Amino acid sequence: MSSATLGNPLLNPPRHQRLKHLARRASLRLAGGILVLWAVATLTFFALRLMPGDPVLAILGGPSGNPTAETIAEATREYGLDKPLAVQYGLYLVRLVQGDLGVSYSQHLPVTRVLAEQSGPTLELTITALLLAWLMVLALTVLTAGRRRWLGRLASLAETVAAALPHFWLGILLLAVFAFGLRLFPPAGSDGWRTLVLPSVALAIPLAGFIAQVTRESLELTLEQPFVLTARTRGLSDFAVRFRHALRHAVLPGISLSGWAIGSLISGAVVIEVIFSRKGLGRQLYQAVQAQDLPLTIGISLVVAAVYVLANILIDLLYLWVDPRQQEAQA
Amino acid sequence: MRKLAQHSRHHSPRHLPFVRKISSVGLAAFCVLLAGCDNGASTVARSSQPVSGGTLIYATDREPICLDPHVGGDMPQVFVAQQYLDSLVSMDSEGRIGPWLAKSWEVSANGLDYTFHLRNDVHFTDGTPFNAAAVKANLDHMANPKTQSSTAGGYIRQYLGTDLPDEYTAVVHLSTPYAAFLEVLAQGFLGIESPTALLRPRDTNCESPVGSGPFKVVRWDRQSQVELVRNPDYNWAPPTAKHQGPAWLDRIVWKFIAEPSVRFASLQAGEVDVIEALPPESHEAARRNPDLSLIIAPRPGNPTNGALNITRAPFNDLRVREAFVRSSDVEGALKSVYFNEFPRAGGPLSSATRFYSADFEHAQDYDQARAAKLLDDAGWTQRDAEGYRTKDGKRLQVHVVMGNRTPPSEYTLWEQVQATTRLAGIQTIIDQMSDVQATQRQADWDYDIRLGYWNTNSADVLRIIFGSGFIRPAGVGGYHQNTAGFSDPTFDSLVQQALETQDPEQRRALYYKAQQIASSQYLELTTYPQSTRLGIYKTTQGVRVEPSLAVTYLYDAWVNK
Repeated sequence: MSSATLGNPLLNPPRHQRLKHLARRASLRLAGGILVLWAVATLTFFALRLMPGDPVLAILGGPSGNPTAETIAEATREYGLDKPLAVQYGLYLVRLVQGDLGVSYSQHLPVTRVLAEQSGPTLELTITALLLAWLMVLALTVLTAGRRRWLGRLASLAETVAAALPHFWLGILLLAVFAFGLRLFPPAGSDGWRTLVLPSVALAIPLAGFIAQVTRESLELTLEQPFVLTARTRGLSDFAVRFRHALRHAVLPGISLSGWAIGSLISGAVVIEVIFSRKGLGRQLYQAVQAQDLPLTIGISLVVAAVYVLANILIDLLYLWVDPRQQEAQA
Repeated sequence: MRKLAQHSRHHSPRHLPFVRKISSVGLAAFCVLLAGCDNGASTVARSSQPVSGGTLIYATDREPICLDPHVGGDMPQVFVAQQYLDSLVSMDSEGRIGPWLAKSWEVSANGLDYTFHLRNDVHFTDGTPFNAAAVKANLDHMANPKTQSSTAGGYIRQYLGTDLPDEYTAVVHLSTPYAAFLEVLAQGFLGIESPTALLRPRDTNCESPVGSGPFKVVRWDRQSQVELVRNPDYNWAPPTAKHQGPAWLDRIVWKFIAEPSVRFASLQAGEVDVIEALPPESHEAARRNPDLSLIIAPRPGNPTNGALNITRAPFNDLRVREAFVRSSDVEGALKSVYFNEFPRAGGPLSSATRFYSADFEHAQDYDQARAAKLLDDAGWTQRDAEGYRTKDGKRLQVHVVMGNRTPPSEYTLWEQVQATTRLAGIQTIIDQMSDVQATQRQADWDYDIRLGYWNTNSADVLRIIFGSGFIRPAGVGGYHQNTAGFSDPTFDSLVQQALETQDPEQRRALYYKAQQIASSQYLELTTYPQSTRLGIYKTTQGVRVEPSLAVTYLYDAWVNK
């Protein structure tokens, strides 16, 4: 098997020790993650509370509401806005720890319910985009790295351009060509796979550009390694050498970049969901910030941060799985 | 046809090229509208019989905050409400009030008591029967401060209570005579909901309101769509409807597509059957497209405007107000921003309002020479280094306070106003901020200009936006609806008298004088009337807009798919 070429099984520590090590590593990362979540909650809380404008007016319907003095007093009490900011922050943290994210001012719904309804479509979008990006990366790099120089250069140029494309521009372009022009895909909505195609392509292309750049570089370096030559002398086809041997080494930087990519995809999802009128956390966040909807903004920020933290832990573990040498280095 | 005549009358020959284009646009639109309202034909000129069944997909720009139109009260709410609620009375295209859930009514001589005789064969989609207690429950609900009703609650501030002499008679008591009461009752905002459903918490009722209308709300998928299905028992359509019995459509999917170009492209592709808020840049394309038809209907009420705060300098001087208005080239701005698709509104009432007079359409016409003379007379004679007028060393400066949800096209329109008022030596500063901050500035009277409009089917809107009673709302905490800060006993008495008589000719005469005062005081720079603009795909017919607020009405619509 090809994996025999990677590390000597005899040198690996016993299995239970490996698991213990993994668990310790994961719990450390988890603790770090909780710290990140606390920081996000705190920053969002103060940023929104220090924004000019009375939050009571935001609660009571913004420009279309015309609340009476009694309603304002009632809402101020109900939301605890009459207490000092530090006390409000304390109360807010206590509720947060209990899992109470409060009620959205603008939607009049519990924040947890809004999150439950809106997370699915965004997750679907970002995961599809990530998979699509990797498909593009593999297709582009494995087929062109280390080939004729002009081909490599051309592909590399395409990657640089792709990485530089802004999401909104790409989104509008795809809409104009494939939805308005050719009418191959619906321009709006969130039901069915057809509505998922254009938004995920718009998110995937710039990401694929980034990942492909690092993957190409490391693939080209790998292809010059002696073990590749060995594999070739064993009579493996070029395709098999690239996919089975070289790629395993070359994807490592790309995988660690994918952790960062989750964050980038979610921020891209804000724009893409607005352009494609998709349901989701991104568009909801955009609206919540506009309406100064404090509980909802914090709720979404926390979910995004949690996904980011979790994704990075997963990527970490994936890294170990792809390259067992890492475990030895850290054991 | 009254509206048609007025429409062509209020353009002077001075703006001939503009007139020709706009009237042809307007005529086409009105013909479509009137055909839908008066001739009993479908709005789309295709010979076809109504068919029962099928799903209509409707796409609009804004998602309501709450589906119950009593709560808050913004336009997206009433558009959904019109499909699942019935009203106590109906309004026809001439603005006359007719029966609906109420078969007939009497108004007491002093104008304070309204006795409604109700239909006895109506029930809500949850099985609750419609009766006098239901009327009482609804009016009480709108007036209850806990409902937080700005629109419906605001329209019935005179409401004292309802007596129930028998099951199908409701006597509504008002604190002051209110001739506009029947008119506002015809609006979807004051639609009648199931009293059983109203007993639930407000937020529950927001999500799954229950009415007696031709459709019922089955599901609200936030940020995506509202689903409505046919009410099979429906047999109490208003006399303005084109048929009786259940609606033709099985189902309506009410989608939210905020991006205008995407909404229009979805229509062109036939992915949706009807779109609302057709973007003005797509009107021409829609007219050229044989697959599409248009309905463009102006909404009654106070047109889109910037209200001038007359409680502080410089707009406390009538001459400065007129000079500002006269130096604003709104026609030019409408041409470049809205491609001539929106007509100019020059008076305090939109042409679709009952008792509107066209006589005040030209009081705001662009006239730089007059603006210069007025400013000279007002003492703003000096100029500073940047060319702005000054008086006693102070620059002639006005602040437009704009919330961040103001549409970009509206911002561009005001940039053009900024450019042309600069020629007169006025510095117009556009302050953009969060909506919450803008509301605060409004409450503090810290602005010179605030943008707004007021859609309602009654000339009584003049009392709400210019009456001295609305400078300070009852609760003080919120903002005032009289944004100009206008306070004039003569005006107040005119609009009050108009509420004390049921005689249309007397009301017309009184509202004429009220329009005259509002216009001559230059309290607003009016720009264009609010409108409902629908694009309809060829598979769909019978779509029309009801007359009270020009709201989409799908009861008579059917699809051929």
